[in-house]
Amino acid sequence: MRGTVGYAFVLGALLAAVFGAVVGIEGGLRRRAGTRAWVERATSAFFLCMLGANLTMVWALVAHDFSVHYVSQVGSRATPLVYTVVSLWSALEGSILFWGVILGVYLFAFMRAQASRPDRAVQLAQGAMLAAATFFAFLIAGPANPFGAVVPVPPDGPGPNPLLQNHILMVIHPPMLYSGYVGMTVPFGIAVAALLDGRLGEAWLTTLRRWTLLAWTFLTVGIILGSWWAYAVLGWGGYWAWDPVENASFLPWLTATAFLHSTMVQERRRILKLWTLSLALGSFALTVLGTFMTRSGIFNSVHSFTQSDIGPTFLVFLAVVVGVSIVLLAVRGPALAPEDALPGVASRETAILVNNLLFAALTFTVLLGTVFPLLREAFSGVRVSVGAPYFNRMAVPLGIAILFLMGVGPSLPWGRADRGVWRRQFLLPAGVGAAVLVACLAAGLRGAGPLTIFALAGFVGTVTLRELLVPAWARMREKGERPWTSFLRSTARARRRTGGYLVHLAMILVFVAIAASSAYVEHTTGTLGAGDSLQLGAYTVRFLGLKEGTEPHRRWIAARVEVTTRAGARRTLEPRMNFYERSTDPVGSPAVASTAFEDLYLTLLAFGQDARGDTASFNVWTFPLVGWIWWSIPLFVLGALVAAWPQRRGLPALGQERAADPARGTA
Amino acid sequence: MNRRLSLALVGLAVLVGVLFFAFARGFGRDPHEVPFMLKGKPAPDFALTRLDTGEPVTLAQLRGEPVVLNFWASWCGPCKLEHPTLSRAARRHQGDARFYGVVFEDTPENARAFAQPMDPSFPQLVDPHSRMAVDYGVTGVPETYFIDAQGVIREKYVGPLLDEAELTRRLRALSGPRASGAGQ
Repeated sequence: MRGTVGYAFVLGALLAAVFGAVVGIEGGLRRRAGTRAWVERATSAFFLCMLGANLTMVWALVAHDFSVHYVSQVGSRATPLVYTVVSLWSALEGSILFWGVILGVYLFAFMRAQASRPDRAVQLAQGAMLAAATFFAFLIAGPANPFGAVVPVPPDGPGPNPLLQNHILMVIHPPMLYSGYVGMTVPFGIAVAALLDGRLGEAWLTTLRRWTLLAWTFLTVGIILGSWWAYAVLGWGGYWAWDPVENASFLPWLTATAFLHSTMVQERRRILKLWTLSLALGSFALTVLGTFMTRSGIFNSVHSFTQSDIGPTFLVFLAVVVGVSIVLLAVRGPALAPEDALPGVASRETAILVNNLLFAALTFTVLLGTVFPLLREAFSGVRVSVGAPYFNRMAVPLGIAILFLMGVGPSLPWGRADRGVWRRQFLLPAGVGAAVLVACLAAGLRGAGPLTIFALAGFVGTVTLRELLVPAWARMREKGERPWTSFLRSTARARRRTGGYLVHLAMILVFVAIAASSAYVEHTTGTLGAGDSLQLGAYTVRFLGLKEGTEPHRRWIAARVEVTTRAGARRTLEPRMNFYERSTDPVGSPAVASTAFEDLYLTLLAFGQDARGDTASFNVWTFPLVGWIWWSIPLFVLGALVAAWPQRRGLPALGQERAADPARGTA
Repeated sequence: MNRRLSLALVGLAVLVGVLFFAFARGFGRDPHEVPFMLKGKPAPDFALTRLDTGEPVTLAQLRGEPVVLNFWASWCGPCKLEHPTLSRAARRHQGDARFYGVVFEDTPENARAFAQPMDPSFPQLVDPHSRMAVDYGVTGVPETYFIDAQGVIREKYVGPLLDEAELTRRLRALSGPRASGAGQ
């Protein structure tokens, strides 16, 4: 019964999406009056149907209704309730269903946000988004239908993939990432509408930027949470493996980041219009590519869902998205001619342009490395794999160059810089960077890569803090306000600028953390009998004995370990191995002792018994600063919120000196 | 500008086309498939002890007879499913081949608790620290290795062996000429 109800909702969503897409685009192009109301009804119907379908699925999961195909695949009476609900997105069909409801929320939110704007571009954008929604609804109704009936009804199911019920991060990482992915549908719709409409005005650009920023923020948080999950669950002692699906989330992030920068140039100079639109279109195409990678079963990855036959359907959709984008750019592109030229070389515009080129190069590099095994196999039949060394060798120099530009760009003025700019703007930050380098060398740190990054972090950090604080300081002196008041007021006057620099600070944290944790990692392995210990860095790791336990959905064996630091602080850790009925391999749970500056990371490799008692083999790592990667999340979110927060009308925002209509161009 | 734009777009379209071709070629194959390198190679020697009696067992002492090695664990559901099939086959083919179970990533108590009620008709071996499993390239359990009388690994079966006819066919192949050893 639940299956029928759910499927009815899916069909409803499909109908609403098809109808809305046709009416939205056709009515918009022919400027038919009165069609927009119908597009809005279709959007609401799509949203409500998707919501209904998802709630029905959650209901079926919680009620252990094994007559529903998806429940019979991922449900199990032994699974704890939270993981039962979460199993909505733990396998292929459910994850696409979940995708559908997020898309519904986005479409509905976009409709509400644009309700008061009587622009035909809004209708065109909604039509384009509903066209994308049509594909996903079709996928749920046909090739990936989760509501199929199972006869006879099995008494119990296998439960979700063990890796996905091993850590609480699994509850929030996928929704964040999906919100980022799905969110790129909105910029896609807006960009398609701009091309169909042949105009990209100030207000429409603002809308485009805001929605991209929203999706970008979710994507950023989703990616970082994903790396945290890999670190906390997978137990190989890392957080990023250049796995195809990790890359798939990284690619749209790169293009969206490039977009958020190029849009500033467009706003100032009204150039790079097509480039900016291409980045918005490309970000969406790359999210579809990412989804295809995860779900087509042709990539080897920890994330890939089981072999499925929805790959070809996805490939067709991807081809349509890319094809439509290219045709639109070719046909309508010339209408969006640049209205100005690039100023001198030493200008912020040029710095941002170079930043965009670097981001594009990085996107291409990562994409090439990801698909190279497939290309090679398709053309020569040889199976190869592209490992981390390729990605690190290619991405690290590009990353360093981008970090460097993060200091150069904000120091250069818009337009043409005078000769004095170098002395005025660069002397202090470069001095700080040099001081950081000297301090690191004095502290005994070595290695060209990490030291370059630390020195650049000092340089960029100084530039960023100066850009954040100097306006506040000037205001303080001028108006005699307290420091905090003047900081908040100067921030309120330039939210995007402040938000952007907060995000830059978060990015510096991530750069430093990645450099330190990968360059100064220490590692050892050992097999210990009860009471034996081993030494790593400042830590003594003593094995106390094994411990067993049973939970409804798994059994586990843990090694009790006492960790003593040089200072004498003691802690007990319990790295585990979990055994799930359905799994062919034990699933390890590493144990981590975190401090502000270092993590001690322990995994249990194997265990046994000898004449003296329990024995256990361990992998032990120390990772300096690794936690900073995930602790940067609040700063990223804060920066994005500050930048995206609606500005009260009438307050002049950054970059509005050139705006034709200041009341519409607020960010 | 116009010409540059169309050139860029044509270039992009070509690149995308190549990519799509590669994707389309990729359908239908299994990227998770790991080539099994030990096929046709001499089986690595092992010296383990029996779970029940503690008696030592080495591969060398089994030379001259085909050997079936089944890696399993008490925490593995599929292993539980396939066990009766193996048990029956071991009884039926007594004299044609020797069957051994190898306990993978498990404690001896748990393994004993698993094996006793199952009444296996073949002995189980304990593999401390999975040294043998590593030598044999075990990727998970259950996995079953078929070794001929000369001590050469003919093939390995990944996943539960539930079809007794299938198992019998593979056992027959063990005493046949080497080339007829079917793929895994």
